[in-house]
Amino acid sequence: MPEERKDKELLRRYHERGDTDAREQLIERYLPLVRSLARRYSYRGEQLEDLVQVGCIGLIKAIDRFDIDRGVELTTYATPNIIGEIKRHFRDKGWSIRVPRGLQELNVKLSHLVDELTVQLERSPTIPELAKAADVEEEDVLEALESGQAYATLSLSAPGGGDDDSDLDPLESLGTLEHEYEVSEDRAVLAPGLAALDERERRILHLRFFEGLTQSQIAQQVGISQMHVSRLIRRSVEKMRAEIATEEEPRRASESRR
Amino acid sequence: MTGAIELRIPNDPPFHGVARLVVGGLAARHNLSFEELEDLQLALVTVLEGDDYAAAAEVCVELEVSDDAIAMAIGPLHGDVVRADLEASSGDVLGLGRLLATLVEDAGVEAREDGDWLRLSKRVRGIKPAEANA
Repeated sequence: MPEERKDKELLRRYHERGDTDAREQLIERYLPLVRSLARRYSYRGEQLEDLVQVGCIGLIKAIDRFDIDRGVELTTYATPNIIGEIKRHFRDKGWSIRVPRGLQELNVKLSHLVDELTVQLERSPTIPELAKAADVEEEDVLEALESGQAYATLSLSAPGGGDDDSDLDPLESLGTLEHEYEVSEDRAVLAPGLAALDERERRILHLRFFEGLTQSQIAQQVGISQMHVSRLIRRSVEKMRAEIATEEEPRRASESRR
Repeated sequence: MTGAIELRIPNDPPFHGVARLVVGGLAARHNLSFEELEDLQLALVTVLEGDDYAAAAEVCVELEVSDDAIAMAIGPLHGDVVRADLEASSGDVLGLGRLLATLVEDAGVEAREDGDWLRLSKRVRGIKPAEANA
């Protein structure tokens, strides 16, 4: 029996006859989807298993609320529910990972100072130079830079802070139109994990790791701050890693079943 | 490593920020540029967060500064996995090998008593202690 028909039959058994075994079967059938989606967020400082548990709540809600007469596949309905639950989990935990306002402001100030000093000194500034220009201690500079890293990593759909950050999450990036690329960049796009990135992220990684441009050169070419380039590089590498792990998950799971 | 900084942390993402901060502190003391610091931190985190790299529940990061370079060693790791990733990601593939080739000058796996370690070396522009500049 085709998978969709099997899903429909189980959904009918549960919704029309209250068959909880059918509900259990549906949960089990969709666990790989939950795991796959949870993996995409697991690099944000949460354990994968915790996120799978949270995602399962979203899956159960989707199964319980599903309207069999609407003609939508359960996958289509469950995916945003699972992602929504995972995002809610991060939002609810926001208080424990919130960066103090002072550090946020210093991070933004440093972003401008890095660009200004790079032009002024004709080289990348040092931490002591940044501290002097910002009139703070070196430790404050390091802490603010680190807080920027935490902010970029942990924020989900929220703006990344600073300039024109458009933070696409995995669901929102689905269906994003890709524009034409130069041949060399097309080849790089074929590499594992790069499919998870949006066009700008791929371009920045290409410029940095295939063309060998520095962050400040990329910043000039793309028209964003150097600090923003840094954030995008870090985040893109993390996204790629998560995507590769997601791609490998079914293979590992099938190997472990053997 | 004589006079090196050695940091031992649980192999858990929340602790990777601690390692980044230590590299930052070292960069500040030795007048590394913002970009050099960024490269070192990204190289370190890429290795720390690599799937299946770590061979133990704790991971150790060693840092040593010479006249014109910073050496970083991370271990114990599964050397065969790291070696495979270093070799696999050449050409058009953006993997560990390509990333490290851009971020540092030298990367290689070395065998030690407690297992395999990844040794990275990054040349930096005119290192001198920050105090000497005052």
